Amino acid sequence: MLDFFTIFSKGGIVLWCFQGAGVTESFTGPVNALIRSVILQERSGNNSYTHEALSLKYKLDNEFELIFVVGFQKILTLTYVDKFIDDVQLHFRDRYKNELEQKGSLKLLNNSFEFGNEFKMLLREAEASGKAKSPAPMRSFKESEKSQKTVKSMIETKGGDKGKEQSGKKNKNTKKDAPAAEAAKGDQVKAPPTVQKVTVENGNQGLTADEIMLKKREEFFRKHMAAPPEKTSSKSPKPQKPREKPRRVWDISGKSGKSTKTLDYSDSRNGEDSTNEGEPNQDVFFDQVSAVGLCLFSSKKAGGFGGMFGMLKGLVGSKNLTQADMEPVLDKMRDHLIGTSSAKGISDQMSSYVCLAVASTVKQALQDSLVQILQPKRRVDILRDVMDAQIQRRPFVITFCGVNGVGKSTNLAKISFWLIENGFTVLIAACDTFRAGAVEQLRTHQRRLNSLHPPEKHGGRPVVQLYEKGYGKDAAGIAMEAIAYARNQSFDVVLVDTAGRMQDNAPLMTALAKLIAVNMPDLVLFVGEALVGNEAVDQLVKFNQALADHSMSDKPRLIDGIVLTKFDTIDDKVGAAISMTYITGQPIVFVGTGQTYNDLRSLNARAVVSALMKA
Amino acid sequence: MEAAESTGRENMEENPFEPYMETLRQQLEDQDPVFLIGIIVALAVVVITCVFLKYFLTSKTVCSAVLLVGLCDSGKTLLFSRLLSGNYKRTQTSITDSSAPYKAKNDKGSTWTLIDLPGHDSLRPQYLEKFKSAARAIVFVVDSAIFQKEVRDVAEFLYVLLTDTVICRNTPLLLVACNKQDITMAKSAKLIQQQLEKELNTLRVTRSAALSSQDGSVGGSLFLGKKGKDFEFSQLPMKVEFVECSARGSKGEDGAADTESLELSLAKL
Repeated sequence: MLDFFTIFSKGGIVLWCFQGAGVTESFTGPVNALIRSVILQERSGNNSYTHEALSLKYKLDNEFELIFVVGFQKILTLTYVDKFIDDVQLHFRDRYKNELEQKGSLKLLNNSFEFGNEFKMLLREAEASGKAKSPAPMRSFKESEKSQKTVKSMIETKGGDKGKEQSGKKNKNTKKDAPAAEAAKGDQVKAPPTVQKVTVENGNQGLTADEIMLKKREEFFRKHMAAPPEKTSSKSPKPQKPREKPRRVWDISGKSGKSTKTLDYSDSRNGEDSTNEGEPNQDVFFDQVSAVGLCLFSSKKAGGFGGMFGMLKGLVGSKNLTQADMEPVLDKMRDHLIGTSSAKGISDQMSSYVCLAVASTVKQALQDSLVQILQPKRRVDILRDVMDAQIQRRPFVITFCGVNGVGKSTNLAKISFWLIENGFTVLIAACDTFRAGAVEQLRTHQRRLNSLHPPEKHGGRPVVQLYEKGYGKDAAGIAMEAIAYARNQSFDVVLVDTAGRMQDNAPLMTALAKLIAVNMPDLVLFVGEALVGNEAVDQLVKFNQALADHSMSDKPRLIDGIVLTKFDTIDDKVGAAISMTYITGQPIVFVGTGQTYNDLRSLNARAVVSALMKA
Repeated sequence: MEAAESTGRENMEENPFEPYMETLRQQLEDQDPVFLIGIIVALAVVVITCVFLKYFLTSKTVCSAVLLVGLCDSGKTLLFSRLLSGNYKRTQTSITDSSAPYKAKNDKGSTWTLIDLPGHDSLRPQYLEKFKSAARAIVFVVDSAIFQKEVRDVAEFLYVLLTDTVICRNTPLLLVACNKQDITMAKSAKLIQQQLEKELNTLRVTRSAALSSQDGSVGGSLFLGKKGKDFEFSQLPMKVEFVECSARGSKGEDGAADTESLELSLAKL
């Protein structure tokens, strides 16, 4: 059923692979596509990916730096695949632990990892278990409970009604309480399977519904939870309470149910006086430490607490931080500290030491990841692209879009100044036919630029020209005419200025999408101001969405770059840069730092990130 | 008269120094010989320390790594496997670096570390940053078959390498390995060299005209080669060699790889 299964190291060497019967195509292409789009992007939460007709699921093993990938046809829905990957991972690790633990790639290259037989056995098991979960057959009437009830009990009288209603209510309560009880128990239980199981059980209507519920719940608890069964009896009186809407608890410190009283340290009492204060302080300590990233304590073996050496081991390794990692270590540390008699003094010292050590590591990792986000994924060399277009005898078209008042026209003028300085001729297309004074603004810029670079010095023709058709006309039509004019007059660059529009304004967004789809510019720049804050995400998402929706082709032109304006107004609040780059994945091409023509910069990722981290 | 004047002038010039020399000589003679020896020893120690520091801190002696860099899918990981063990291994896109000690095939039998860096765009800068200071030689792997389509990306990566301050300071050997020569459409090393020179010629102009960054540091760094003349690799301070190789080998998976020229160049290190 599977098309292929590969195990390869993060360095790229395939350790073992399996190709299903009858599959002739190589799987290298789809797996490479999976790596590039999912693993490197690190965006999607789930672990599956579709590539043409194949559906791929993967699993990372960060301890030995391996990746397990399975591929099967998209049309098949195989339920056993997730568990199967986990099993294969465990078996492979156990078998080749020695070879994999060594540092350096020589062992990986020289060894041949034989895994075929085990794999076949695991596959057979997985397929068998998948078949076993077939839907339950319908019961015949004789088997059902209804056939065993007397007719009298089913007659609806007033008293009988109440009895039936009450039992119905209790069933609903138990249905609600069972998941609530389980959620209160701990994070280890997965919610969906439990809810499913309870709803299936609720099909049993009858006089003995409560007992059935209790019995089934006890069974379930015993099976799934590590907690001792006597706790379930304490939970059982709960469903008898009338259900009222629970009071909403706004958690202040991330831990629900904590009152503000315990967090009130305004009293000058010492901690040693009352035992009550020992608890909250320790809780706060654990909050602090867990918030900073206590999982760095955990060595590569889960749950191991080796004191200082454990911390060092954890710091040296590059482990991905997950909630599951933190849980066992947190508990162990809690027990350890409670066990020591002078927990209070030591815990304070430890917390500060831990926080310092962990914070610096976390800060470095955060800095590296932020720089990686801000680094342009592809080249940002506009001059080179313009030269290319020059060779091909066509104008290079740049379109500016954005919401109202971000600085599109100003930055357009700055960019045309930069292009003129590098010896190109520019045509400005005034496609803002709505705002009063837009065309005059561009005309003023054109005059100033021409006076700065007079035509006599540049071969007799003016370096900047404005193409405008007044107000009220269709922007897309003006843009098309401008590009044709530029091609005839052999201008090097066409800068298209559009009207500012809110991202929620559907007709205007449609008009913009039409302009871009019809004219196919070489570069679509989104102009955003650095002061924008959270709005940036909304703006960019909606702009991209509109461009994708209204384009006719299957490869729509989306936003290719970002111009970040008014950068001089923010001193250290440079977060907008990060959010914009992360949302689109496109680089920040220009940074506007003022109102004169010289205030145009490029982005220095390291400087921005260090400014961000300094705050 | 004139001779007297000239000698007088000479005396005048010597005279200002003479009293100082005299006093210095007298002072030195007056001093305790032990004190003098102390001064001389101190001066000698300082000089020796400076020499040692210079000798030990020069990066040339610290470098012992050969980096395998290149664009995605150029064949770096397969080349890595071939150079180390001679085996053919299926490979996927690398997302971390791999390193292993390599024994050079020369008389000295020197060993150094061979490091295979991932070629993907998002990972390239950080791994280069990590390993560039330890590089003794850089093997830049180029896919010769699809070179024409990727010329600009290859040139841009090469430009980044050549203008990097750390690499310019250490001047490691740059070996451009034109890989995938077993494919019929593969371009020869000479052609690739010419194309790269042409592309870098335009690139250095556009890059140096790029905008400076917002905190004032200059965007365009040093200008490659000589101004006024067309760019050639011989104008660079570091040695650049072009070799042809084929990691897969002409006989497919079971045959040996054609990496002799690469190994020869590596042996010369």
